[in-house]
Amino acid sequence: MAKEGLPPGIVNPPRPLPEKAGESPEEHRTPGTLVLVLVFLAAFVVYYFVNWKLLSFVWRVG
Amino acid sequence: MSADFRTCPTTGLKVHAQADRLIKANAVVGVVALLIGGIAALLLLLTRWQVVHLLPADWFYRLLTVHGMNMLIFFILFFEMAILYFASAVLLNSRVAAPRLAWFSFWLMVAGALVVEWTMFTGRADVLFTSYVPLRATPWFYLGVILFAVGALLVVAIFFATLIVAKKERTYTGSIPLVTFGAATAAIIAVITLGHGAAIYIPTFLWSLGIGNVDAQIYRLVWWGLGHSSQQINVAAMVAVWYLLGALTVGSVVINEKISRIAFTLYVLFISMAAAHHLLVDPGLPPTWKVWNTSYAMYLAVLASMIHGFTVPAGIELGQRLRGYTKGLFEWLRRAPWGDPGFSALIFSIIIFGFVGGITGVTFGTEQINIIAHNTLRVPGHFHATVVAGTTLAFMGLTYYVIPLIFRKKVAFWPLARIQPYLFAAGMLIFSVAMTFAGTFGVPRRHYDISFAQAPFDFQFSPAVDLVMTAMAIGGLLAITGGAIYIAITVWSVFFGKPLEAEVKA
Ligand code: HEM
Ligand SMILES: [Cu+2]
Repeated sequence: MAKEGLPPGIVNPPRPLPEKAGESPEEHRTPGTLVLVLVFLAAFVVYYFVNWKLLSFVWRVG
Repeated sequence: MSADFRTCPTTGLKVHAQADRLIKANAVVGVVALLIGGIAALLLLLTRWQVVHLLPADWFYRLLTVHGMNMLIFFILFFEMAILYFASAVLLNSRVAAPRLAWFSFWLMVAGALVVEWTMFTGRADVLFTSYVPLRATPWFYLGVILFAVGALLVVAIFFATLIVAKKERTYTGSIPLVTFGAATAAIIAVITLGHGAAIYIPTFLWSLGIGNVDAQIYRLVWWGLGHSSQQINVAAMVAVWYLLGALTVGSVVINEKISRIAFTLYVLFISMAAAHHLLVDPGLPPTWKVWNTSYAMYLAVLASMIHGFTVPAGIELGQRLRGYTKGLFEWLRRAPWGDPGFSALIFSIIIFGFVGGITGVTFGTEQINIIAHNTLRVPGHFHATVVAGTTLAFMGLTYYVIPLIFRKKVAFWPLARIQPYLFAAGMLIFSVAMTFAGTFGVPRRHYDISFAQAPFDFQFSPAVDLVMTAMAIGGLLAITGGAIYIAITVWSVFFGKPLEAEVKA
């Protein structure tokens, strides 16, 4: 009940990182984000292409 | 001196009493502007939704001006003033450099805003927030804008002075935090922005008095130096808030401090030129100029956003992984605190800003494609994804931390607060995507009546337009509900909320 009205980040702040966290490069991988970024790029390519296509309907060459 | 400070029991930061009060005052006025702009949004939405078509023509354009000014200028800037005080005085444990001047600037901004409100509501300034010449408002309108801008410029000066005071008085060790660095880039851009603002509003003010002349093309060129740069202030401030919320909600790590700082710096270097994307169909400017400015220059500013769009989620992911959420690709995301409105607002802000706002913006910024997007509903579709679902939502998420940390109050109506970012984000997503579709069918922006009832010609949009405009209305209503809940929560918590101290002692 005491927690009502306070964001979890204040009542229950993120645990401090363990002592040696992040020291080895092995631990620096962020594969999830990489997937999200690739989805983003794919969406970008599709939208950009579709817009050129739409333009080609109204702006004929030749 | 030390009596002027309190130590925050949650974060251990020393908070200067003046910083405290200035943040509160600016945040409260910002929320009032949001309320006025929000009421206007509802009425505009119900007018653009052709089935209801609520307002008469003159009030549509009047309230469109009211909405643009209150949302994009007053709400956002008052909130950013609060962020500047927070990122300088609070994060650096420092005093505010010139508190008297700070209050003077605050009241100057309030006075400027009130003058502008008066001119708009009395029909003396139906010129929309861009106030393109030769549309002419009463001189008071331009004067109000100038007063507001001078106030904002003074706050920016106080921000830099506070950074110097903090350094001199050694209130912090090491280099300044990334959030402060981000706010500093926003402040530098603000100086550039306000420079353009002075260059255009002063001549236009004089012109409204009958002195001199202002060329329509020059006006657009210089005005967008202000209009576009100011959006980059919002982006830089939003990204700073992303880093802050990531740290507060899940303890995200900064993957590479240097890269993040370089990305912030790119904003400063390339904004003014990127403003050309607003002028791509203007007849008075040569194609080479347009292409140069919107390709290389713009993409470097975009690159900066893409870097942040990668480093912020990666920092969250790494923070979570180092705390043990290592299963599969997405355990870090699934097991994140989705019931924390600070966290959900952060994630939705990143996603909608990037996927909807970013992709559409870069696409329309291409010289050739702009011809089919310009002045259609695709444009407001784009910027409601950036400055509303992006910046505004991030600021909303931050508010849930500002209420306990600065106002020392509990967040009222907590169960509603937990779902508020979901409502607002879902609403804004539907609203902006629907607007984008409507625009693709050619529906114009800033248009009172797309049935063209009294026009001498006959024009019919594709029947699909009715459908997307209805989707737009539904999304907009959902977002307005989310916005109303936000305002209710903030106002109630701030003025009638349970103080925290009592809770701590109990
Ligand atoms: C609560 C959700 C909101 C809704 C439903 C909404 C709705 C609308 C509508 C219907 C228009 C008119 C589009 C047109 O006819 O061209 C508009 C324009 C605009 N909105 Fe919003 N809006 C919302 C929030 C915001 C916020 C928070 C901001 C800024 C921070 C904002 C900034 C603008 C701007 C700059 C314009 C353009 C005005 C102009 O063309 O002069 N809106 N909005
Ligand atoms: Cu722009």
